[in-house]
Amino acid sequence: MLYNIRHITTYSYNTAVPFARCVLRMFPREEPGQRVLSRQLVVTPRPSESREGICFFGNRVATLTIDQPHRALTVSVTSRVEVIHPALAGFDLSPSWEAVREEAAAGAGLEPESPVHYLYQSRLVPLDAGALAYAAQSFPPGRSMLVGARDLMGRIHHDFVYDPKATVVSTPLSQALENRRGVCQDFAHVMIAGLRGLGLPAAYVSGYLRTIPPPGQKRLEGADASHAWVSVWCGQALGWVGLDPTNDMLAGNDHVIVARGRDYADVSPLDGVIIGSGGQSIDVKVDVEPLG
Amino acid sequence: MSRQAESQRSKAERRRALLGSYQPLAGVHDELMDADGHVRPQWENLLDEWTNYGPDELARRLALANRHLSDAGVSYRVRAESALDDMLSGERSWPMSHLPLPIAEDEWRTIEAGVIQRASLLEAVLRDLYGPARLVAEGALPAAAVAGSPDFLRPLKGAAVPGGQHLQLYACDLGRGPDGNWWVLGDRTQAPSGAGYALENRLAMARAFPDLYRSMNVERLASFFQGFRAGIVSGAKRADPRICLLTPGPLSETYFEQAYLARYLGFLLVEGNDLVMRNDMVHVRTIAGLKRADVIWRRIDGDFADPLELNVASRLGVAGMLQAIRAENVVVANGPGSGVVESRALMSFLPTLCQTILGEDLRLPNVATWWCGQPRERATVLDRLGEMAIASAFRADLRGSSNGEPLLVSELDAAARKDLVHAIEARGIDFVGQEVVKISTMPVLDARGSLQARPFALRVYATATPDGWRVMPGGFCRTSDRLDARAVTMREGARSADVWVLSQKPVEQITLLPPPDQIQIRRVVGNLPSRVADNLFWLGRYLERAEGVLRLTRTLLGRMIETDIRMPGQQDAIKRLSGLLVAWGAAPGARTPLLRQAFTALHGADHYGSAAACIREVRRTASVTRERLSVDASRLIDDLTRRLERDTEQLPTEGEGYETADRALRALAAFAGLAEENMNRGAGWRFLEIGRRVERAVTTCRFARQFGEQNATPDCLDVLLDLIDSQITYRSRYLVGVAFHPVIDMVLFDEYNPRSVAFQIARIDAEVAALPTVREDGLMEAPRRISLKLSADVATARTDQVDRAYVLSVEQRLMGLSEAVANRYFLQTGADATVGKA
Repeated sequence: MLYNIRHITTYSYNTAVPFARCVLRMFPREEPGQRVLSRQLVVTPRPSESREGICFFGNRVATLTIDQPHRALTVSVTSRVEVIHPALAGFDLSPSWEAVREEAAAGAGLEPESPVHYLYQSRLVPLDAGALAYAAQSFPPGRSMLVGARDLMGRIHHDFVYDPKATVVSTPLSQALENRRGVCQDFAHVMIAGLRGLGLPAAYVSGYLRTIPPPGQKRLEGADASHAWVSVWCGQALGWVGLDPTNDMLAGNDHVIVARGRDYADVSPLDGVIIGSGGQSIDVKVDVEPLG
Repeated sequence: MSRQAESQRSKAERRRALLGSYQPLAGVHDELMDADGHVRPQWENLLDEWTNYGPDELARRLALANRHLSDAGVSYRVRAESALDDMLSGERSWPMSHLPLPIAEDEWRTIEAGVIQRASLLEAVLRDLYGPARLVAEGALPAAAVAGSPDFLRPLKGAAVPGGQHLQLYACDLGRGPDGNWWVLGDRTQAPSGAGYALENRLAMARAFPDLYRSMNVERLASFFQGFRAGIVSGAKRADPRICLLTPGPLSETYFEQAYLARYLGFLLVEGNDLVMRNDMVHVRTIAGLKRADVIWRRIDGDFADPLELNVASRLGVAGMLQAIRAENVVVANGPGSGVVESRALMSFLPTLCQTILGEDLRLPNVATWWCGQPRERATVLDRLGEMAIASAFRADLRGSSNGEPLLVSELDAAARKDLVHAIEARGIDFVGQEVVKISTMPVLDARGSLQARPFALRVYATATPDGWRVMPGGFCRTSDRLDARAVTMREGARSADVWVLSQKPVEQITLLPPPDQIQIRRVVGNLPSRVADNLFWLGRYLERAEGVLRLTRTLLGRMIETDIRMPGQQDAIKRLSGLLVAWGAAPGARTPLLRQAFTALHGADHYGSAAACIREVRRTASVTRERLSVDASRLIDDLTRRLERDTEQLPTEGEGYETADRALRALAAFAGLAEENMNRGAGWRFLEIGRRVERAVTTCRFARQFGEQNATPDCLDVLLDLIDSQITYRSRYLVGVAFHPVIDMVLFDEYNPRSVAFQIARIDAEVAALPTVREDGLMEAPRRISLKLSADVATARTDQVDRAYVLSVEQRLMGLSEAVANRYFLQTGADATVGKA
């Protein structure tokens, strides 16, 4: 599948901001199953310093400094990406979840794909007792890792209501869990907390999802949004598998991966420190255009 | 009986009094006495000398030590209801116990070698973990035992290590086991604290017992700090590097220590807001523009060092610091990621890692530790659970514990034990089991003057100098106030003690001073950080604001005492005095009785304009510039605070109130005298001075508007002279009574009168003229343009042009000047700069 993706973020400030330093994590990843054919970054006002690099988790990061007074900051990223994932084998290769737990704890590597980084609590995913109790129901003794994880994903999809008004970025996971409402980010965090509570490695993935318009309607430009899902480690043999609890589906050719990390804090698309005294507002437009 | 025999007898009695109730605990080692109750040799000299002192002399010496600590601002406490109060009063967490811990040289060499070995080992582990991670790949260290640490800072993986050293300062906590051997209880690699307290304890003890200190050949500490300084400087790229101590700020538990060490070592004390990144370099914001920081000794957690790449919520670090590290433009000590090796999980692997890396056994064993992330170790812990202490493998809090402290399983009830077993079985990776070790006791002096045995832990420091590791001969010893010798119950300890390493031969005298020919003469030190300039300016303004309120209140009370307030002619001045207090937010509104108003203006801290509230602000601004104020200045501020505190709502009499205001004014005058006579005429002093003068000029303008109108009554003009303290001068110059023109000239324009507005403005202009300029075009900067014009205007003004509008315009131009100073010299991005998320 070939995609054209446009992601435009505009910050408007009430008073002029004389200095800003930001990091961007908005470029799709290069990895098996996903190829970036082109990408372009346009920032206004023009940054005085700009640098690109790859972070620990393998995400492409741009660091910008803007040292002229500005009332608005616009970051526009355009990428063309090809996604070709082989279908997952029809039979389940994953060992029991207890075996995965032992295997993960014994992992002998600190490389970014190593499961050891995704076992512990992280900034936005504490080891929540409620999330553990919820997830434990999907993992009776001896069940295969992948079967358990898919069951958990299905239950979150069924039990939780998608409600953009219910949470904001800073809402603690426990609240989304208690109210059974939130957005893709909350569902991913709840699922990760539950899995890690059981000692199972789970990562947070940010990216885009191809939206298919209802029959007979045209695709609306700019109506898409960033998306987030979970990647679960199913033992050395099978490795990482993407599970999307918002849509109860395996992540495949409809998903474009931008960044992986332990939780949203590792992959947040735009972080920064500005010097200024006024308020601000933000506007985000995302357009995921399938080219076939 | 001869005099000598008598003195011998009383000496024996004193020894009995000291040791009579000393009882070592069963089953643990005691530093003072061996198992048979004999005093150990290294204590004999000490006890011998102590028992030479009569009770009076001992008391005098102990008082001298206390006075030293209090002079250094160490232990002086007004009252502490909050962390802020603690910080303001300089109270430290560990009051000093007056008996040092003596350690014989032989024994010390063993400790020293063990600590150096451990420091090298941990440095090697850090290099590996942030580098090739061979230890992990080869199975010597499980990856999950590293990845679980919140101090494993992934963005630094593979990054350069400017200066070549992760650990510049390392500390470990030691305890002596029942077998007499020293054990490592824990490692401190993040930002070890306590070295400053150790130094402070040493100076106090050396002052109180100089003869003893010399005769016992106690090894000196200065060379250790010399080595630390040399080590931290050696990595810098520039020849004369700027070294900053990055503090979390005055609310930090150990802020006193940080300010003290900064002053002792000659480092610039900075907060995150003082720093800014330009071109991959860290700079300090100073009044003379941005100045590069070459070396940062950080006392903030590594995770807080850079909100861009690490904890985005941090306001303590500087955005981009990691990039400066990667570009090798700044040396950060200890390296931000160095905390990863202080986890308990790592302790369980150190015995084997020492073999793998150094090919030796650990010279100082650490407390036996089992990381439950491995099946066999987990089984061991669960088997022997009852005799174990269970702790977080990293630094989280376990359920039922706080501050990351271990749980003693033997003290848990059955339900809690079951929960714990369950938790360890589910996520063993989060836990370690540790052997419960008993540590030795040492004597501390109790309130009755006799010795008692108390458990203690000893923190020992090592620093990486250009010639290799050096260990501080001494340390920070903390004694427990409880009789439980199990190390895990030590917590942070209750008191601290100096540690004396007893050399077998006389020790060399070393001070921090370099050889005389290497000292370059300097009259001005570095550039003043903008934040400090800001605080000193406001310190000056609040001092003067307090003075204004006190003068108003004193005059009001004076009038109430002297005059018959029922007389119609006298009413006006009193009404105006009270009106001004209300307008300044110092006293409640018009219907409040006068005495209540005066009382509130003095003591009503909840009225923002009251003297008490102004002094509170004085304390706040003084506390963050503490390292630049003399001890006497801090004392005066404490003194003022106490004078203006009042617990009861009981009104004083007019006379008592008058006296309070009068004394507080005297303390303020003393402060002004100190600033005038004792403060260096650097930029810091100038900002204090400008702040004071601006506020005094503004206050005087307000007095003039309230009491000095064209048609003012003689009584009002009289009050005005009182308020500016110029009664005597006026009477000596003018034999007639008060009259508008001479009074107003004295208040506004008389440049010989140190309380006139013109005098303040002339001083302000002179100080502003001496401030650094960053313009390269030779034009005047905004503050000077305003001050020069204003000073010319008032110098040439005449009293016949004076009306309320004129005085108001002078006042407004002064406020404009104050703003211009703030915009130019304080945070360079504007006085109200905030940092927010983009």
